[in-house]
Amino acid sequence: MITLLKRYWDIFRKPAVHYSLGFLTMGGFIAGIIFWGGFNTALEKTNTESFCISCHEMKDNVYKELMSTAHFSNGSGVRATCPDCHVPHEWTNKIARKMQASKEVWGKVFGTINTREKFENKRLELAQHEWARLKANDSLECRNCHNFEYMDFTQQSPRASVQHSTALAKGEKTCIDCHKGIAHQLPDMSEVEGWQ
Amino acid sequence: MKNRFKKFCISGFALLSVTVSILVIAEENIASLRQDTPLNAVNESPAPLQNASNKDIKRGRSYPMQPPVIPHKIDNYQLDLKVNKCLSCHSRTQIEESQAPMVSVTHFMDRDGNFLADVSPRRYFCKQCHVTQIERSNLIENNFIDIQHLLSK
Amino acid sequence: MSMSRREYIKYQAATIAATAAGISLPSSSTNLVTDTKDAQLKWSKAPCRFCGTGCSVNVATKAGQVVATHGDIKSPVNRGLNCVKGYFLSKIMYGNDRLKTPLLRMKNGKFAKDGDFTPVSWDTAFDVMAEKFKKALKDKGPEGVGMFGSGQWTVWEGYAAVKLMKAGFRSNNIDPNARHCMASAVGGFMRTFGIDEPMGCYDDFEHADAFVLWGSNMAEMHPILWTRLTDRRLSAPNTKVCVLSTFEHRSFELADIPIIFTPQSDLAIANFIANYIIQNDAVNTEFVKKYTNFRLGETDIGYGLRPEHPTQKKSKNAKTAGKSTPITFEEYAKFVSQYDAKKTSDISGVSEDKLIELAKLYADPDKKVMSLWTMGVNQHTRGVWMNNLLYNIHLLTGKISQPGNSPFSLTGQPSACGTAREVGTFSHRLPADMVVKNPKHRAITEKIWKLPEGTINPIPGAHAVLQNRKLKDSEINAYWVQCNNNMQAGPNMNEEALPGYRNPDNFIVVSDAYPTVTAQAADLILPTAMWVEKEGAYGNAERRTQFWHQLVDAPGSSKSDVWQVMEFSKRFNTNEVWSEELLAKKPEYKNKTLFDVLFKNGNVDKYPLSDINKEYNNHESEDFGFYVQKGLFEEYAQFGRGHGHDLADFDTYHKTRGLRWPVVNGQETLWRFREGSDPYVEKGKGFQFYGKPDGRAIIFALPYEPAAESPDKEFPFWLSTGRVLEHWHSGSMTQRVPELYKAFPDALCFMHPADAKNKGLRRGDKIKISSKRGAMVTRVETRGRNKPPQGLIFVPWFDARQLINKVTLDATDPISKQTDFKKCAVNIEKA
Repeated sequence: MITLLKRYWDIFRKPAVHYSLGFLTMGGFIAGIIFWGGFNTALEKTNTESFCISCHEMKDNVYKELMSTAHFSNGSGVRATCPDCHVPHEWTNKIARKMQASKEVWGKVFGTINTREKFENKRLELAQHEWARLKANDSLECRNCHNFEYMDFTQQSPRASVQHSTALAKGEKTCIDCHKGIAHQLPDMSEVEGWQ
Repeated sequence: MKNRFKKFCISGFALLSVTVSILVIAEENIASLRQDTPLNAVNESPAPLQNASNKDIKRGRSYPMQPPVIPHKIDNYQLDLKVNKCLSCHSRTQIEESQAPMVSVTHFMDRDGNFLADVSPRRYFCKQCHVTQIERSNLIENNFIDIQHLLSK
Repeated sequence: MSMSRREYIKYQAATIAATAAGISLPSSSTNLVTDTKDAQLKWSKAPCRFCGTGCSVNVATKAGQVVATHGDIKSPVNRGLNCVKGYFLSKIMYGNDRLKTPLLRMKNGKFAKDGDFTPVSWDTAFDVMAEKFKKALKDKGPEGVGMFGSGQWTVWEGYAAVKLMKAGFRSNNIDPNARHCMASAVGGFMRTFGIDEPMGCYDDFEHADAFVLWGSNMAEMHPILWTRLTDRRLSAPNTKVCVLSTFEHRSFELADIPIIFTPQSDLAIANFIANYIIQNDAVNTEFVKKYTNFRLGETDIGYGLRPEHPTQKKSKNAKTAGKSTPITFEEYAKFVSQYDAKKTSDISGVSEDKLIELAKLYADPDKKVMSLWTMGVNQHTRGVWMNNLLYNIHLLTGKISQPGNSPFSLTGQPSACGTAREVGTFSHRLPADMVVKNPKHRAITEKIWKLPEGTINPIPGAHAVLQNRKLKDSEINAYWVQCNNNMQAGPNMNEEALPGYRNPDNFIVVSDAYPTVTAQAADLILPTAMWVEKEGAYGNAERRTQFWHQLVDAPGSSKSDVWQVMEFSKRFNTNEVWSEELLAKKPEYKNKTLFDVLFKNGNVDKYPLSDINKEYNNHESEDFGFYVQKGLFEEYAQFGRGHGHDLADFDTYHKTRGLRWPVVNGQETLWRFREGSDPYVEKGKGFQFYGKPDGRAIIFALPYEPAAESPDKEFPFWLSTGRVLEHWHSGSMTQRVPELYKAFPDALCFMHPADAKNKGLRRGDKIKISSKRGAMVTRVETRGRNKPPQGLIFVPWFDARQLINKVTLDATDPISKQTDFKKCAVNIEKA
């Protein structure tokens, strides 16, 4: 077995004797395109809402909850899809998030949240992950659309305009500090800071 | 006859002149809440859906015990076994940060009038007493007299 | 002269002080009303005008006006709380369009069915009305007249009306709107226990370990009871709440076990629970052996539709709907065994796990369970059955009549219990649970009322839905509606109610404070005093009787319902309405007015004006010359005293925050049928269901049967109708309170977003909801407080501009005759 492996390794590490450098370069390039393209396509594919809600765990819980909120239906018709808020737009972060997602595949396979009751039991933990992520990146995914620079406070309700022009402007608060539970239902908040 | 009726309408009902003209000509000449749709017809133009006022401006209270109305929208505010969204701003411990009015001190009392450590669970569902308002004129005017006006009469 | 309020008060205070004491006050300037004379308000108690919870409110008056209201801290019911409607009670009497004078449809100075409403005097109004009633009585006999009353009538209003109809006109065609609301509950109580109204009381809320809501959205419809339930659930965290409904609503916010079931399948679920209890040895055998009997009910009993309706024709046993035969426990166990988890899950669409979770609450001997239900169970073509099936569960486990173990039928209206049920304003009833069919009951009634033997008609009269049919068919020609808005509230307005009222053969009188939809359809409108504009009494859902004084005067020439009934009775002579034969038995009644016979009978006129509390007006008594309310109440109380319905004496109720009957030796009764708690239970019995001769309650074997009308291709949606928190019934009071109107201004169609999408509809779109009977145009709401499952829509009925009862079906429970407002088939299209 080991000798077999060694033989293949030798073939692999020796320079090619039968193919031209040009062929190898081009072939490598094409293969690169195919693999990279395939990877990206897969990445793109898994980065769509339709992929997210192909699992009933998402469709029957969080997606259903999203449907009655302003992030789904509103005056301007601009809406947020799952990845808009939950997948970083910047490449390295995106890959990092995708690697984390392998754990979710595990969860799917073993049915960790395959009933409403199980989902509810995990809701606090899952929500805390997202809150922590958004807190750490200064609510980056919120800010991808809601850019502080361009906010017109006069268009906001007095309450909102006060908070945005003070706490948010000074950087004391980030979006997620106040806007928890705006797109999905909240978990049991009895242990969450600022809600006791 | 018609004049007499008209006069009655003006004095007795103090209705707007527009309504009086409808009253005299319509078959159901006392329509008020139903307005001008006859009973055997369908009202083809129900009012458009209107969202709650979100101006954050306190409205007057008709008497001190009247629960204040909510001056902002509360769409999707979660109020259930897990969380009370209202209290995330209006609870005693949050008002310093939120600058929202604190829930009234009466809300800390249990059924027997003892003050509890926090808001009494019997007051948990805020929406039973506190409601939002839409921006629209009254359907029917109300002649309730505020005590202050009554005293100044 | 312009003067600010502050200046005026200062000026006035100074002048009075100066005249009184001859000295001038030091000028103290403050922007606070401090002078006692100004600052002090007169506070009195009154029960709330709205739902059956029966909260007590404190009402402040100043200068003849109600100026404030708040929840009564001393009341055991609500302990200082009110719901949003209750907090705005101050404003319900002050709508700008209060009726102030009688209005008669006239043309050329005479009554005309197609005339315009014209102000007339009370004399003219009663002249025309008496003429029409006399003609109907002459042409058709007692069956030719009818009256539709209310669970919002005060106790004495209902009592006076029953006397006028059942004794005066000898007609049993009197029914209350409580028929739409509580009739199935009454049917359930009478069939299972032989005596009406809950055995438990609100104290159960503080004792229960589990609450199960069967077709009740208490969070909106009984908000103050919901505060008590919430208090218990949140302060004792092991408590469980299960909410069953055909759509998700606000009560689900507190639900540990939320259950959405297919309409009508509650029958199967209740049977499944009974089966689960038996299968898992959770039957309280000793209790069942000692205190229960088993019976098998008649099936295929029809849907209370007109006999020529195809659905009705198909039913085999419509005529014997209430029949039942004795069976054994074993036969009962076999009967319910067909409702296993699998079959019940198939019928109801509820997962087997959830069904078992619910059944376990009942089966656990250490869990005290309170079941609560209202219109979801009562407004049901098998409403009586559902009531029976719920009692089955509590009887099998012995979870009844003890603190926290309580099958509790909630009441809709403030005096559905106190007036409609206890006084017996139904077409088949007499006071204190007695019925017109029973010769002994008629004899007791005739004796108390001092009537000649045989005065009371032994045949039950027309119930609510039948009254509208008889109006349409010209069988009832003179009709009086008091204290309700049945044109808006009753089912199938298009085919039955409106053609009935506008039938040229008929004369329709409507007594109301406001021009309602029903008033619009009338021929004569009588302006009516409301709530604290009269002295009153209500009885709530926990058997609590509460009194209030007249606190302000009614506007214009408005008069209370009791005044109207009594004054109208003066226009009838016994010779006109009673036969020679009847009068021969009491010759002294010859040539007397009905007023003399019914109200100046030595009972009702027994108490002098001097008995009235000097601090309050009493316009009826001032007019008639005796303490009307006290006389009527004390005569009425004779029916129940010593028969399990004991009421305290009149004056006591003005001093207390109500008492729960039976009140024996000054003590109210919290839990009935249990020794030590209920004085009517004999010593050594333990429990005694004394409404039945052998003291045993009945456990009924009753199956699942389908609804009267189910969705099909043409009409693919279930329609459920109901109320919202902010409005009371048809909105005639609450739509006139600006804050309540602006909180929930218009009726809406609550529907599932996926249904909307499939129909190409968006939130806010204008749609037409139509059934085989009629249509309504409204707006789509996909995000609101009610979240129906796919295939069902919910539309509230408070909005006079959007009448959903043009769409509903007049199918009733064949036993209780109560309409099913929760189920019919409709179509939706973009309008």
